[in-house]
Amino acid sequence: MGLVAGKKLFSIMALCAMIGLLLLPIAVSLPSLAMGADAPDAVKKDGEAKVEKGRDVYYKTEGIVVGAPAPKTVDGPRDYPRYNFESRVLLWFANQQHLYYGSFVLAVPIFCMVIEFMGVVTKDKAMAKRYDQLAYDFIKISLTAYSLTAILGGILIFTFLTLYPAFFGYLSSIFRPVMHIYALMFVAESGTLYIYYYGWDKMREGFLKWIHLSLSVILNVIGTLLMFLANSWIGFMMSPAGVDEQGRYLGNIWHVIHTALWNPLNLHRILGNMAFGGGVVAAYAAYKFLASKTDEDRAHYDWMGYIAMALGVAFLIPLPFAGYWLMREVYAYRQQMGITLMGGLLAWLFIIQATMIGILFLSTNYYLWQALGRMRGAEKYQRYIKYLVFVLCCGYLVFITPHTIVMTPAELKAMGGQQHPVLGNYGVMSAKNGGINVIITTTILSFVWYMRGNKVSTVSWSKFGNIFMGIFFGCAYFNIIGLAVMGYYIPANVRVGLSVPQVATTLSCLFFMFALNSFMMKGAKQMGPIEWGKISARSQYALIMLATAFTWMMGLMGYIRSSVRLFWHVNEIMRDNSPWAYTHTVGFAANMISFNVLFFWISILFVFWLGSLGIKKAPVEAKAGVPGGAPQPAGGH
Amino acid sequence: MGQTILYVLVSLVICVAYFVGVDHFLMDSQGLDFWYLFRK
Repeated sequence: MGLVAGKKLFSIMALCAMIGLLLLPIAVSLPSLAMGADAPDAVKKDGEAKVEKGRDVYYKTEGIVVGAPAPKTVDGPRDYPRYNFESRVLLWFANQQHLYYGSFVLAVPIFCMVIEFMGVVTKDKAMAKRYDQLAYDFIKISLTAYSLTAILGGILIFTFLTLYPAFFGYLSSIFRPVMHIYALMFVAESGTLYIYYYGWDKMREGFLKWIHLSLSVILNVIGTLLMFLANSWIGFMMSPAGVDEQGRYLGNIWHVIHTALWNPLNLHRILGNMAFGGGVVAAYAAYKFLASKTDEDRAHYDWMGYIAMALGVAFLIPLPFAGYWLMREVYAYRQQMGITLMGGLLAWLFIIQATMIGILFLSTNYYLWQALGRMRGAEKYQRYIKYLVFVLCCGYLVFITPHTIVMTPAELKAMGGQQHPVLGNYGVMSAKNGGINVIITTTILSFVWYMRGNKVSTVSWSKFGNIFMGIFFGCAYFNIIGLAVMGYYIPANVRVGLSVPQVATTLSCLFFMFALNSFMMKGAKQMGPIEWGKISARSQYALIMLATAFTWMMGLMGYIRSSVRLFWHVNEIMRDNSPWAYTHTVGFAANMISFNVLFFWISILFVFWLGSLGIKKAPVEAKAGVPGGAPQPAGGH
Repeated sequence: MGQTILYVLVSLVICVAYFVGVDHFLMDSQGLDFWYLFRK
């Protein structure tokens, strides 16, 4: 007994020492981040006469110039060496693939953490095993993808160095300490991930399981910080700060990191990554479901697909609101940038974006309606689905209606202007906000129906609860549509604020109705078990559609965000003088995005295949506790 | 039936008051007038 306790203690100490060693480089490098304090001292050593001050372009504070001005590039082999191909397209490809994989490997460990935690805290031992197996399946998928992310990161850096040396040299001169920390954190993340994965079997029980769970927290903290640091580079390129108007670094690294768009980008990206990661895992589960030969496997992958989809959609719902915040900050930073995005050169890409968002929500709803089929007692909702379809379609059509249409002069003359006399009215922000909020509210309603599909509330106030829920949703629809209509009758400066109560209405439905539903369903009578695996194949194609739409939309939004800089490497600081400093046509961009999506999916299928080769070597007994050969009651959704 | 009507009325009062309150408060917090249209 004493020997076992000693071994455990030794294991914990060894683990802590290993984590400490992994984090040591970061701790050591932190003093160098002391707000550039050492840099001014260095300048002072050479004498006060050499001190030159500059004014921060964003913070408007004065600082001592410690960096060189942004290089003024010229089109030629020195600043823009090239192959017989458009360098920007090569960079676009390398960047996009790295981002896809980066997003995936950042999101999946967060899911693992959540699922493993659910497994640890649940009192039902069978469910705990199922959650543990699921978390293990998730991390197994991401492990191979992790190596590929690192390889793609290397390819990206080499692409920058070989094709855009002047620009990359300038960026790395500004972010030198950050880039080092980034690399060290990557080492720390790799180490933690390997301990987390390979230690799964050794740390399965008791206190060691909590240590294992803590490792996932450390892993995710490092992963999130990595993403925040990478975001600071793109934030700097869009809305530079911490430099003067010539692009000279003023010694304050925090200003350079904390640009106007950094926080909105952080939030938008973390939500986007989570939604994307959920989509990819759901697609993996769908693929495995469709390829399954046994009921047991079908049950397992059906459940896995549902959990991944639910997690992904949980982050998809607030994503448009984070997008609104980002756009708002873009407008606040440079109004012209916002106009280029939403009302100018790139506006048509936003119509495509709206179409994709609509597809995401339609696919989600379709999956949930199909999923009702695996529950006995859920038939009562089937006849109302057609009304939800109608509401969703109306919201979708309003959401994707463009304000202006690309036309020939003859068509323009025939229509009497750029706006369609009827449809033009729906192509305004007021109506579009109403459209998307109606779609999201309907998705929330579908979720509520799914959560109570096979249950009948037994609480004494269930009648009031049901009526209240119905009226709350009814009033929410009325409020959203009412505010959208009101927007037509009030001045633009008042109208712009209407999106906030509209969003609050949708979020009220999300939080209050989910909470109310949970209270109502406590101790509810079950009409029958959830028959995992008994779901139509169509639903699985909806999951694949969901994942593909996520991937496509991510590529699109990345392109939009990057293109808004127009002919600047760093907005208003460093001009892009390469021959490719123009905005591509919508068609070319769409083709390029599709190519990236296709490449990603082909390569990730390879990753899935590689992952499947190792199934027999899984340390946890394969399928232990997985819903047994066919339908088995599940304690929860 | 009477109970159902009572539940509907109570729910309506709560929901309408809640959403009007949310609209007013959130517009006001942005320095905007939610009642602009009605005052005009």
